[in-house]
Amino acid sequence: MEVVLGLFKRGMIEQNGHMVADALTPIAPPRDTGRLYAFYRASSAFSIQADLRHEIVYSSDIHLNKAESNAWIDVFVAYWKAVGALLATEEATNQGKAQDAEWGKAYEQWKEMVNALIRGYTTNVFPPWTLPCLYTAGKYLRNLAIKADEQTRKSTGNVTYNEGFQDDVVSSIGKNDSLQDAARQINRIFSLCISDRAPLEESRKWGVYYISNLLFKIYFKLNSISLCKNILRSLQVSQSDMPPFEGFPKSHQVTFRYYAGVIHFLDEDYKTAEDYLTKALTACHRTAHKNQELILTYLIPCRLLTASQLPTPTVLAQFPHLEALFTPLITAMKQGNLAAFDAALVAGEPAFIKRRIYLTLERGRDMVLRNLLRKVFIAGGFEPVKEGAADASRVRRTRIPVKEFWAAVRLSSGPVAGEHLEVDEVECMLANLIYKGFIKGYISREFGKVVLSKNNQAFPGTGV
Amino acid sequence: MSIPVASWHQSQSNMAPAYSSVDPRTTFSRPPPHISTSTPSRTATQTSTNTEAPPPRKVVWPPPVRDYVQRSFAPEAKIHGIEYSDLEKKLKQVITEAAEADRLHEVDWATLPLPQQMIQQERAMWNPQFTDQVEDPARTPPSFKKRKFDDPNDSQSPLGRKAKNNNFEDRITYASPSQANRMDKRSKKEKSKYHADKFPDHIAKRIERFGVVTPDYNNTSGANSNDNQVMRGPVAGTCRSLEKNYFRLTSAPKPEDVRPQEVLEQTLELLKRRWKAEGNYTYICDQFKSLRQDLTVQHIKNRFTVDVYELHARIALEKGDMGEYNQCQTQLRALYSLGLGGHPAEFLAYRILYLIHTCNRTGLNDVLAEITAEERKEPAVLHALATRSALALGNYYAFFQLYLNVPNMGAYLMDMFVGRERLAALANICKAYKTSVPLNFIVNQLGFDSSQEAYEFMVAIGVDKAGAFLEECALDPAKGMAVIKSARDAAFKKIDIKGQI
Repeated sequence: MEVVLGLFKRGMIEQNGHMVADALTPIAPPRDTGRLYAFYRASSAFSIQADLRHEIVYSSDIHLNKAESNAWIDVFVAYWKAVGALLATEEATNQGKAQDAEWGKAYEQWKEMVNALIRGYTTNVFPPWTLPCLYTAGKYLRNLAIKADEQTRKSTGNVTYNEGFQDDVVSSIGKNDSLQDAARQINRIFSLCISDRAPLEESRKWGVYYISNLLFKIYFKLNSISLCKNILRSLQVSQSDMPPFEGFPKSHQVTFRYYAGVIHFLDEDYKTAEDYLTKALTACHRTAHKNQELILTYLIPCRLLTASQLPTPTVLAQFPHLEALFTPLITAMKQGNLAAFDAALVAGEPAFIKRRIYLTLERGRDMVLRNLLRKVFIAGGFEPVKEGAADASRVRRTRIPVKEFWAAVRLSSGPVAGEHLEVDEVECMLANLIYKGFIKGYISREFGKVVLSKNNQAFPGTGV
Repeated sequence: MSIPVASWHQSQSNMAPAYSSVDPRTTFSRPPPHISTSTPSRTATQTSTNTEAPPPRKVVWPPPVRDYVQRSFAPEAKIHGIEYSDLEKKLKQVITEAAEADRLHEVDWATLPLPQQMIQQERAMWNPQFTDQVEDPARTPPSFKKRKFDDPNDSQSPLGRKAKNNNFEDRITYASPSQANRMDKRSKKEKSKYHADKFPDHIAKRIERFGVVTPDYNNTSGANSNDNQVMRGPVAGTCRSLEKNYFRLTSAPKPEDVRPQEVLEQTLELLKRRWKAEGNYTYICDQFKSLRQDLTVQHIKNRFTVDVYELHARIALEKGDMGEYNQCQTQLRALYSLGLGGHPAEFLAYRILYLIHTCNRTGLNDVLAEITAEERKEPAVLHALATRSALALGNYYAFFQLYLNVPNMGAYLMDMFVGRERLAALANICKAYKTSVPLNFIVNQLGFDSSQEAYEFMVAIGVDKAGAFLEECALDPAKGMAVIKSARDAAFKKIDIKGQI
């Protein structure tokens, strides 16, 4: 009791939001593992209200007004109950009775506390510098919801059936009831922050990006990315009366930019995505290796499509995971080896799909093809030099029979896939590369030839 | 057919007042007659069994026993088709036996099956006689179901506030179990209120009515139990007619409107025949929806359910009713996960094609994540995956080759987006070919059946008006580019995901 409320009181006196938030953590700090237990044991359901009132109102020097102290008492009463539920759950887990652990109950109790906190802010009795309390509350609400859902799935399977009088048997697949509920609660916190009209220096708007990031995390987990766009939209709308983005803590900035980048990436808006991700990477703390890796996971495929650029081996060498993930693809692209690329894509498919980059990487095949055809072009050599002209003025052969490309693509596709490859299909691939701007030129049906651009423009950006 | 239709229409007309069902409470003019007999009398009897039984035997019933009795009579524990008198008899028997053996304190009343459950087990087979089909229509007056709890409150108790809540909440369609639980809890609360506040009143009522109502008891309580089936067990249908119009339920269905599985099986055969003979999709779709509804309210989840959904999905596909198709597909996905048989690979392939149609990248990524190695070997799935990758790479040649050889009914789905992909391919061609593109080459590359079809396709988007047809049966790419591009952009814009007809 003394420890927790001691933190609270000191936080209140020093106006240190993080310290107050620390008093409301559901996980005991490593240096004081018995903290929660002691706090819970120090009171009982019967006396907790009075105990807290005694501590917060009567025997303290923080002098809160009546409304605020009552609101904090509510919060701590809810916290005390939540701690009780948590300890019971933990105990059940520790005793190997994981199936008896009631994460759902712990979640509900924690939600009560979140609600008590939200009430304190909606009635404007809590000062905005205590915002970190909302961070802690929201963060653990998410964690507990995930645990509660895991447990529900384990005990009752993955499909919810209609019990009522709906038309169809199944009402939903994939049970995430708690997490969805958590998203709703945190969304309330979001509006609490974004709609605060107090002057900027004491506005809850400063919490908006932390809460957004929390929501993004949940929506990604729920696989409902489209909901993220609502958040981005409301941030966009209130941009004008927000504090400058650079003024927010760096950690909020980087996480937000990462998620915004990924959301645009999944929306196939690779230009915007690249912008966000690049900024996130530059602002990312240099020791936050894991975060850099996450950012690069999306930035690399992004750059591949926007600029046809591949990461250098030195960059990749710093991130062994990414190196293992991307190197086979990159090698195949550089070599123009279709068979190797297809094999690498198949081999990495589960990992790519999990990160939602498969569909983007797949399009790297255009690159492989371009590099392959470029080789054909180069191997085609030069037009015969006119007599008397200097060697330097010689030009490459720019009219190349489609059949030559066909042979190359067949060869590169490997024996199985190449065997049945029709010349028409290769013509289609050529048309595509021309359409997408990888090749400059046109196909002439009458002569069965590709007429490529002269003046080292045939394959833009590659020097020939 | 006649009886269900009649009651169906009746319930249909019940629906209209559903919106204004709050009003009658304020007017007090609604005839209270039979409604109030249902719940209160039951609760009254229940309390009476609790409290009247003890004195003669001079036994103090321990709380677990009382609780057991209460639970037995709780409306939500009601099992349809078990008569009240049977229940009472069984309950008496159970308790008396325990009392005589002096085991009242030893029996674990909390886990002992309720008497109705015992009866249910005893009855080897469900007997349709237990629900009376000859129902007096006056016994189920309008808004009956919606006013399960508030009627007594309304007219005779100070609990008007509570009643208001009821009224409001009753209008909510309960979907999730958590909501149902809440409802459940509330109903318990209500009940305890009856005990506390209205005790004498109810006794009086019960005495007044008991003899008269008894013959109909099963009927009223049966209907009452339907309400609780919203949260509890399935309805056991008794309707024997094969056809039934679809009507969206806003309250629990009556068993006499619901067809049991053996009837539904005949319905399915009938629908198959009629679909073949007449091909009237409006009729068929309507019938299938009511069929699905009957399956749902009876909680029938087996191979037959899968068959119904598969057939409806196929018919919807054939008619291009994407909305209905998608509903079936979602249901099938869950049903397959139960391992009930059917054709999971075929429908997985459809699902992939459907996601291509709706341009749902997130969905595609999810499907790819789900597909197992076994499923990958299925020809239909392989085809759908190849189609996806051909489109992703813009390989229209491969795509149209796949279009010409679709397994099962995938062609209906591919028809949905083949037009727009043709336009996309044409736009590509226009850019890549500077000189004329022969029509027969286009026929070949874009999977047309004939040059006539290809010609008409292009005329439809105004290629001829743009003067892009050359004399030698060829397309002038430069001139055709603009119309083709705008047609393509328009085609990609209007993908209605719901696709409802």
